[in-house]
Amino acid sequence: MASLSEEVLLVVKKVRQRKQDGTLYLMAERIAWGPEGKDRFTVSHLYADIRCQKISPDGKAKIQLQLILHTGESTTFHFSNESSALKDRDAAKELLQQLLPKFKKKANKELEEKNRMLQEDPVLFQLYKDLVVSQVISADEFWANRLGDMNNSDPTPYNNKQDVGISGAFLADIRPQTDGCNGLRYNLTADIIESIFRTYPAVKQKYGENVPHNLTEKEFWTRFFQSHYFHRDRINTGTQDIFSECAKQDEKGLKSMVVQGVKNPLVDLLSLEDKTLDEGYGVSTTTPSTSNANRTVKESSNAAIIKRFNHHKVPFFFSSETSSTDGNSRDSDFFQPPVKKVRLQEAIEYEDLQRENRLKTVALNLKKSDRYAHGPVPLQSQHYTTSQDIINSVNHIRHEMVNYKPNLTQVLSSTAASSAITALSPGGVLMMTGTQQAINQMIPTEVQGELKHLYAAAGELLRHFWSCFPVNSPFLEEKVMKMKTNLERFQMTKLCPFQEKIQRQYLSTNLTGHLEEMLQTAYSKFHVWQTRRMLRKT
Amino acid sequence: MDEEPERAKRWEGGYERTWEVLKEDESGSLKATVEDILFQSKRKRVIENHGQVRLGMMRHLYVLIDCSRSMEDQDLKPNRLASTLKLMEAFVDEYFDQNPISQVGIITTKNKRAEKLTDLAGNPKKHIAALKKAVDTLCVGEPSLYNSLNLAIQTLKHMPGHTSREILIILSSLTTCDPASIYELIKTLKSLKVRVSVIGLSAEVRVCTVLTRETGGSYHVILDESHFRELLMLHVKPPPASSSSECSLIRMGFPQHTIASLTDQGAKPSFSMSHLDNSSGPGLSLEGYFCPQCHAKYTELPVECKVCGLTLVLAPHLARSFHHLFPLQAFTESSVEELQEDRFCQACQGELKDKIIFTCPSCRSVFCVECDLFIHDSLHCCPCCIHSQSTS
Repeated sequence: MASLSEEVLLVVKKVRQRKQDGTLYLMAERIAWGPEGKDRFTVSHLYADIRCQKISPDGKAKIQLQLILHTGESTTFHFSNESSALKDRDAAKELLQQLLPKFKKKANKELEEKNRMLQEDPVLFQLYKDLVVSQVISADEFWANRLGDMNNSDPTPYNNKQDVGISGAFLADIRPQTDGCNGLRYNLTADIIESIFRTYPAVKQKYGENVPHNLTEKEFWTRFFQSHYFHRDRINTGTQDIFSECAKQDEKGLKSMVVQGVKNPLVDLLSLEDKTLDEGYGVSTTTPSTSNANRTVKESSNAAIIKRFNHHKVPFFFSSETSSTDGNSRDSDFFQPPVKKVRLQEAIEYEDLQRENRLKTVALNLKKSDRYAHGPVPLQSQHYTTSQDIINSVNHIRHEMVNYKPNLTQVLSSTAASSAITALSPGGVLMMTGTQQAINQMIPTEVQGELKHLYAAAGELLRHFWSCFPVNSPFLEEKVMKMKTNLERFQMTKLCPFQEKIQRQYLSTNLTGHLEEMLQTAYSKFHVWQTRRMLRKT
Repeated sequence: MDEEPERAKRWEGGYERTWEVLKEDESGSLKATVEDILFQSKRKRVIENHGQVRLGMMRHLYVLIDCSRSMEDQDLKPNRLASTLKLMEAFVDEYFDQNPISQVGIITTKNKRAEKLTDLAGNPKKHIAALKKAVDTLCVGEPSLYNSLNLAIQTLKHMPGHTSREILIILSSLTTCDPASIYELIKTLKSLKVRVSVIGLSAEVRVCTVLTRETGGSYHVILDESHFRELLMLHVKPPPASSSSECSLIRMGFPQHTIASLTDQGAKPSFSMSHLDNSSGPGLSLEGYFCPQCHAKYTELPVECKVCGLTLVLAPHLARSFHHLFPLQAFTESSVEELQEDRFCQACQGELKDKIIFTCPSCRSVFCVECDLFIHDSLHCCPCCIHSQSTS
């Protein structure tokens, strides 16, 4: 039954399914059909399950819509409203057309991701084979564990999503090369194109409008570089140029920003001309002439350069508006309240010239520091001797040492000496580090390879087991119990057969002993936890 | 005047043989004063650091290496990138020597993007292999401080509070191309308690000064390759802990090395968990370190157990940092004229040629300038004090 919170996008009445009259409902995540007069849905499919939809051809009498699922099943709806059947069917079809791709992408993307991971990492693939194909844990669990880890450390998706700044020299870096016959070659990369679009949004607009309908991409860029818009002149001659509007747009934008002004009390953008107080106090200007004819060529080109410069600087000047600081990009202001007084303070002081402040350090407080010189000593009851005793014993020993004569034949018994010599000669008990080579040669490489796979699989399962501790949520409790059963199943299905196999090959060394020890440690930990839990409950 | 032709010669000589380190000129050539300044700062460091200060010994350090176009400059031989990577290899070795329980990760930045070269890990071999391979990278574009700092923060913010989070930037370019305001990022760094230090290869850049000042790191610009090496090695020492870092008990395992022989009953050959994926590592073996919690085996320590996540170390690894807890006192400086006896250094037995000598306050033995620096930087104990202790 539809939950109350589901959003219904479209309702179509008089839709027949399997010769029954009913109503078709299209919701946010699924499509459902319920027979007439009844409250419940008999047919309901999630959009994610639908592979595609089909409609009956236009000439046919019956107007139908068929949904084909990923599993191969299909459901057919017959639109039987006399007047509006075609319209209804088309409306349903179009809505489905919009919705299906959204859900389809999600399902595919996950599968693709999983396939990619399996292909890239042979160890993972082996693990998958060992654990899932032999049904030790289910595929869902395997991927739940894996993807959970991946999402935490997410390296590759980050690289694709990095935001990139616009290099200050991106236009200069384009560096046209002459191609020999009076032409220039511009080398444009995706980065440069994106920088151009971000710096000149008007160009992006033009690109969207003209390519690929009117111009090819190559032509568009050729025109761009040829236009005066790009070059320094910016003389707005010739309305054939598609970029002449861009210049006008930019100017309008600039003027509006200047009028808005900037929050800095020391900067007033609207009065940037030289003003005179009196003779000798600044430049005296004659009344500005209103006719453009008086302007020299030089002035107009200067004006063009200044306009271009302002256009370049405006985003930077006003950008800090968005980050709630003042327009002037002094860095130290950022960390202090932007008040006029503070600004004036900063204009006078220069912190680079001040003394460097030492970082405050925390003093180390070591208690009983002589304990570091030797390890922890267990407390024992002390037996006190008087100083006279000590002096007497020292004298006694000194006296004995004067008369000491070594008697080397009585130092050690001969059996003890010979056993010590055999232990320390090559091959003895204490010199066994050389036998590593021997083991590797005694055991065939396929057996070693299989053992390695077993280790990898066991390691993975054990890792999930140990990550559940300390168990402090019901989710972890469930997980730890599940992992224990997984471990037992692993031992039965993989470890025991392997053991029998090597026994049949007459290898006497206990190859699986270590693995069994690891599993046993895990079981005993589980057992301890379980008993503690029981005790806590009772 | 006489002096002028001489001065001209010296000036010319300065241009011709710039690779010679020391020139014996008394007339105030800039080289001599710079060397003097460097020496004074070294001495100052030795004197300052003898107090007992709380240090952050479990460190998570990210090194950001600039791989932009300016790294192809040949003022460091053969070019800046090759020289930096070589010094980084030495740095990684020293770092793990002095900080056995810490981790390092490397990030490179070029073409306005940042890329992780190696993840945070405690094994020096992986880092050194990656650094060796990175010599062939193409240096192109501009670096991006914002993107690389962001990439480092993604991992550092998950690190526990009692460890120190640090970033060291080696920046050679004078520009950085960022997608957003870097001052916001500096605020974030401060709130996450990440300490950022910068080593500049070209000149001082204002944004780096602000970055290091706000986060509490240091900013230096190199003069030449040996100075570069010195500045890098400054970062090997653990930095003083800020008062805001939490103090907590850290769980560690101290496995014992077990050896067994095939003839023993119950000898179990086993694989080390860290060598499962490479076929070149040692295969089945009887000895190793077994994790006390989950019994997994490892051949080398220190390591973080892959199965149960416990940090496994040996006691000597921790003891290596003892010299920070009990630092050697600074030796008293005096003039060589005051020495009445034979003028030779107790440590190197060489004649005392410098004007300054150093005396250990406890055993009164005399050392020359070089030996004093060596004792304080590497040995951390007075050789004569130890010698006299063992014979008494």
